[in-house]
Amino acid sequence: MKRTLLLLLLAGTLAAQKPAPAPSYRDLKYPALRPIQIPEVGIFTLPNGIKLYLLEDHELPIVSGTALVRTGNLFDPKEKIGLASLTGTVMRSGGTKSKTGEQLDEQLENLAASVEAGIGESSGSVTFSALRDNTDEVLAVFKEVLTSPEFRQAKIDLAKSQIRSGISRRNDDAGSIAQREFTDIAYGKDTPYGWDEEYATIDRITRGDLVDFYNRYFFPANVLLSVRGDFKTAEMKEKLEKLLADWTVHQDPVPPFPKVSPPPKGATYLAVKKDVTQTFFTMGQFGGEFRDKDYPALEIMGDILGGGFQSRLFQRVRTKMGNAYDISAGWGAGYDHPGLFEISGSTKSISTVETLKAIREEVDRIRTTEVSEEELKTAKDTALNSLVFAYDTRSKTLGRMLTYEYYGYPKDFIQQYQKALAAVTRADILRVAKEHLDPSQFTIVTVGNPQDFGQPLDALGTPTVAIDLTIPPPQAEATKSDAATLEKGKQLLQKMQQAVGGADKLAAIKDYTESAEFQLGPAAGSVHVKQTDRWVAPSSFRQESELPQGKIAAYWDGQTGWIVAGQRSGILAGTQLKQVQGDLFRIYFRLLLSDRLEGRKVNAVDDDTVEISDASGEVARVVMGPNGLPASVLYDSANVAGPPVAVEEDLSDFREVGGVKLPYVVKIMQGGQKFADVTVAEYRLNSGLKAQDLGKKP
Amino acid sequence: MTTVSRFRLCTILAAALTLQAQDLKEFEKKVTEFTLPNGLHFIVAERHEAPVVSFHTYVNAGSVDDPSGETGLAHMFEHMAFKGTDTIGTKDWASEKKALDAIEEIYDRLEAERNRGPKADEGNIGALEAKLNRAIEEAQRFVEPNEYTRVIEESGGVGMNAGTALDSTEYYYSLPSNRIELWFLLESQRFLHPVFREFYKERDVVMEERRMRVESSPQGKLQEDFLTTAFAAHPYHNPPGGWPSDIASLRSSQAKAFFDKYYVPSNVIMAIVGDVNPADAKRMAERYFGPWQGRPQPPLVHTVEPPQPGPKTAIVESASQPIELIGYKRPDQYDKDDAVFDVIQLVLSHGRTGLLYKELVQDKKIALAAQVIGNFPGSRYPNLFTFVLVPSLGHTIEENQKALEDLLSRFEAQPVDAAALTRAKTQARAGVIRQLGNNSGLASLLTTYYAAYGDWRKLFTSLDELNKVTAADVQRVALRYFVTDSRTSAYTRQPAAAPARGARQ
Repeated sequence: MKRTLLLLLLAGTLAAQKPAPAPSYRDLKYPALRPIQIPEVGIFTLPNGIKLYLLEDHELPIVSGTALVRTGNLFDPKEKIGLASLTGTVMRSGGTKSKTGEQLDEQLENLAASVEAGIGESSGSVTFSALRDNTDEVLAVFKEVLTSPEFRQAKIDLAKSQIRSGISRRNDDAGSIAQREFTDIAYGKDTPYGWDEEYATIDRITRGDLVDFYNRYFFPANVLLSVRGDFKTAEMKEKLEKLLADWTVHQDPVPPFPKVSPPPKGATYLAVKKDVTQTFFTMGQFGGEFRDKDYPALEIMGDILGGGFQSRLFQRVRTKMGNAYDISAGWGAGYDHPGLFEISGSTKSISTVETLKAIREEVDRIRTTEVSEEELKTAKDTALNSLVFAYDTRSKTLGRMLTYEYYGYPKDFIQQYQKALAAVTRADILRVAKEHLDPSQFTIVTVGNPQDFGQPLDALGTPTVAIDLTIPPPQAEATKSDAATLEKGKQLLQKMQQAVGGADKLAAIKDYTESAEFQLGPAAGSVHVKQTDRWVAPSSFRQESELPQGKIAAYWDGQTGWIVAGQRSGILAGTQLKQVQGDLFRIYFRLLLSDRLEGRKVNAVDDDTVEISDASGEVARVVMGPNGLPASVLYDSANVAGPPVAVEEDLSDFREVGGVKLPYVVKIMQGGQKFADVTVAEYRLNSGLKAQDLGKKP
Repeated sequence: MTTVSRFRLCTILAAALTLQAQDLKEFEKKVTEFTLPNGLHFIVAERHEAPVVSFHTYVNAGSVDDPSGETGLAHMFEHMAFKGTDTIGTKDWASEKKALDAIEEIYDRLEAERNRGPKADEGNIGALEAKLNRAIEEAQRFVEPNEYTRVIEESGGVGMNAGTALDSTEYYYSLPSNRIELWFLLESQRFLHPVFREFYKERDVVMEERRMRVESSPQGKLQEDFLTTAFAAHPYHNPPGGWPSDIASLRSSQAKAFFDKYYVPSNVIMAIVGDVNPADAKRMAERYFGPWQGRPQPPLVHTVEPPQPGPKTAIVESASQPIELIGYKRPDQYDKDDAVFDVIQLVLSHGRTGLLYKELVQDKKIALAAQVIGNFPGSRYPNLFTFVLVPSLGHTIEENQKALEDLLSRFEAQPVDAAALTRAKTQARAGVIRQLGNNSGLASLLTTYYAAYGDWRKLFTSLDELNKVTAADVQRVALRYFVTDSRTSAYTRQPAAAPARGARQ
């Protein structure tokens, strides 16, 4: 008993002994960091020109690799934006010469392996990952995907439909809208850096385009192949050399990527999005390249401004003001073109202007006064001490080596960077901030609900430019065409030309005036509209409508145009422009002469229907009636209220004017509902209209 | 300091299948475990590839433990854990402490006045509010802002963050391996000497986080409504970040009470993975965490969700393109059928051979994406086997729902293809192997498995259970759980159509 008591007492005194208090973190002494072992990479060039990098890594029974290919969506043709990305996707999903995509899926997933392909902005890749014991089987698939993709049509259709769905969803997330619009505006529409995929550009892409794109860029001399994992270098080299020996295609060297256009003038933009409680913003201007002499100082400057918990923007906007969860800034560097310096975040609608002003003050402060010694030290320590994480895995080491090789950077670039970083001074930071940051030239993109801003964005001192988020409408699914359907389409169209009076008669028409009465159906308000269309070859077009609520006139000359509704007038743009362009494309005489108009494609859909399309994305179908006359015209019309609507115009009551048969009654259906009955009062042909008269505003 | 849902974890749990015993033996050599007398458990895994090390702290308490009327509290504490201690983040603790107490004293009076309801004196409330704001500004004077996080960042810390989920709260980052002691110091001090500085400013930040993640995000809104519809009684009903009106009234005293109750050493697991010497780690653990006072284990949630009386549907008006979530009630991760659910998830939703992808995306082309989340929103308590359906352009929620129902009824009518079953098991095994080569991922996995099952080896041994799953099991579980009465669906719908379409508008 006593002994137990004693033990208890003893335990009590031990517990009562106060442990030594923890030291201050300032007093901790750290041992030197163990030096980083940079693993040795075997570098070889295969007989066919492939540059090979091999790195052994025996920790796990895995082998993986990447074929890095010089290509990118920077090589997309302007009218086919999305081609590179689609090529990358279908290289894998569309299967190879010997196996369908589904067969590959099953074979690889049975092995818990993967082979993937993709093309990004300035590079393409085919990658694989295999458990060691399946390496040979997976490598064989990898080789086929890299060297003999089949691009089966069904998978092209699937990938296109996926991209279209992606486009339709691109305005659902406010943060990504701000990011996208900022990038697009900063780089502009003159170079691929500022382009987005659109329905029309995707629809135009054919299998032939994919095959051509693939053939142009995928050849051995254009490939850097890196393989890492549980193998012996000599064996793997021999294996790959044998495997890829018969891939010997040659192509001209790939040209350099396009240069960026000059930066835009500064401005503030607003995209209205009503279903959010915060304003999402991204602002900034051109950054630079990694190889710039000032890059290390700029990087530190960006970190002090907005690079972490200790940064000025975080301290001010988040910690002090409590105005944001997400707020950050960073210098933007690219390997071969200027990146973008960006500040981004989000704040509740009511704090929008206050937050943007605070950010502006912080930008001004960093470019007018030196940062403190303490800030500089923190930023440099942060950058230098974390540099070890750039080497902490073999895949990072190998990846960086390839990136430097790909963009032509020195092998020891990161060591040079480390040295330069350590040498950055307070004066350097002030100098580079002054030189490279110019808030008056900032592109400021905001996305939010201005009704809740409390004060208008104009309070920032510059007028606000509206961003129209309307997604240009998808075109009707382009119909497949080949030599036979194109020939048949031409014949069909010529049959109709014959029936209405002959191609020469149509070609002789240089201007016309059409006056018509529209009785709109109940779905369109049951109102009566008078409309006059006037056209002068080749593309001056004026349309005047008298509605119960007033007159509307619109004009378009192929380049610019206007719209006047009552007292209001403006530039013809957006949906209205799309509608007028569509009307111009479908002018009766021109539509029927499409085989003679440059840039138009005429293709037979079936025995009676011809589809006419052009590079701008206009598509219309003309159905021939039993008498050879055009019986109906079908197209999708741009629509203010939502997605485009399917329109069918049924033509009847043909009468001859100047040797050409013209329809005097037109029934218009929209989205399957009666839209209007049109009665033409008069057609006047070749009355000597002048293009400049059409352009006069009412 | 994110509020994460358990998407990531679910995939990890589901991806677990059998590794050969050899794999476990091999891996076990690298792992050292110890429990301090106060109950705090450590798992140390050596990977000496590079001089770096990752840390992961897993607290077995999350938003599910938020007291009623104080939702968002677990998340709010997570934010406070970055605010420092009585020695880190302060210019003068004695004065700061006084200033913080003054805030609370004024806030108490303000609440007392507000609590008088109709009899409350509006003038007094206004005066107290003004006083409160002044007191908050006054306390700010003594703060050394963000010192705690600054020390981590300037020591080369990367990947610093935390997340509050329904089931857990996790804190993590990585350091160069010569600075392991710094982690021991900082991590222990934040739990031994938490202070609740800048609480009310941080509350504003948390509100902004909610606006960003939930109110301004169609998916965020949908997810929230999905859960409030599916769960009537169980706290899985509540959003992990809390309700806005609750957040706006949270007090630092509540956060302190929450901390005292749930941040108990025996309720916390810590993993250290990388270039670490286990003996050193143990010595430092004893030194820094030894003084953390052991306390009783916190209670589990006792509320049991009653049986669902029939299918439920929620519609969220949103200008965005449609998304749908469909959930079927399922048991928790401790249920004997847990492995069967994992297999079902893999067969339905893994890669391009998953049935959902094959049918809805590839063949019918009605979906842009179709996936399964095996456990949502958590796995410690009975939850939802959830389908995420994203219709492709021109296709509807209804078409996708119909296609899913067809698929599930076929799934129930005939045994699953043997090849698909084998494939699922192979993938799960490879999934585990592929996760072993990453310090931070591994640190997270080891703590998660330990917290869930009391043994990190379950990461490997759960593969044995998965391997035993038969086609008959799959069919049985599908028939039992994928029933209309326990289904909840929620989808977004665009607000009422715009005016009639005309030609020129």
